[in-house]
Amino acid sequence: MPIIVNLDVMMAKRKMSLNELSEKVGLTLSNLSILKTGKAKAVRFSTLEAICEALECQPGDILEFVE
Amino acid sequence: MKTNIIMKVMNIIFWIVFIGLCLETGALLVSLFVTLFINSNGAEDTYMGLNLLDLYNFNVEHYIGVASFSITLSALKAYLAYLVIKLFMKFDLNYPFNEKTASVITLMSHYALSIGVVAIIAENYANRIMRQGLTLQIDWGAEQFLFFAGIIYIIALVFKKGVEIQSENELTI
Repeated sequence: MPIIVNLDVMMAKRKMSLNELSEKVGLTLSNLSILKTGKAKAVRFSTLEAICEALECQPGDILEFVE
Repeated sequence: MKTNIIMKVMNIIFWIVFIGLCLETGALLVSLFVTLFINSNGAEDTYMGLNLLDLYNFNVEHYIGVASFSITLSALKAYLAYLVIKLFMKFDLNYPFNEKTASVITLMSHYALSIGVVAIIAENYANRIMRQGLTLQIDWGAEQFLFFAGIIYIIALVFKKGVEIQSENELTI
């Protein structure tokens, strides 16, 4: 898939575990895992907003386009 | 609640239909065997008053042909009823669009089409016999099954699209 999710990179930079992120964002671990492993087909803006707020980053830090 | 009751009632009805069609297939098979090997008067009451004695006396091969078509159609209808029962068993209103349901509905449309095609062939065969001077009043139901097959096929396509949309929805975070 051309869009890569660099969630684990940002989590490592902010030294945040999946459990912590899940509690802050309000997503289940399985949903976060789907996002982290690149299996997600779509992301809601509300979810992206919550993740960016929790990781103090920009959407572009999490989502990357590769050809 | 109301939907669940209707589903249960329809499930029971289709079990009755399935058992009835199995009995019909069995009865037609037994009748054919009895007529050919034990007593030719068995053709007088093949199943539920169907009298094929004149056809048997006219031409045994034609009798075997018509009886074979009746047995084949009855067996196919019984399997179609079984597929409906299978659909009711797998159907979950909380997750209606899944691969198993879509595949059962697609299979139902294929079998309904097969029944329609076999019924058309049987109808043409019976008409050819009637042109030789014999009366043969059997309702094969070709048009009904072809219509049913078309409707079910469209429903199967809708279900397949529903499965795609549901899986996309499930993978939307």
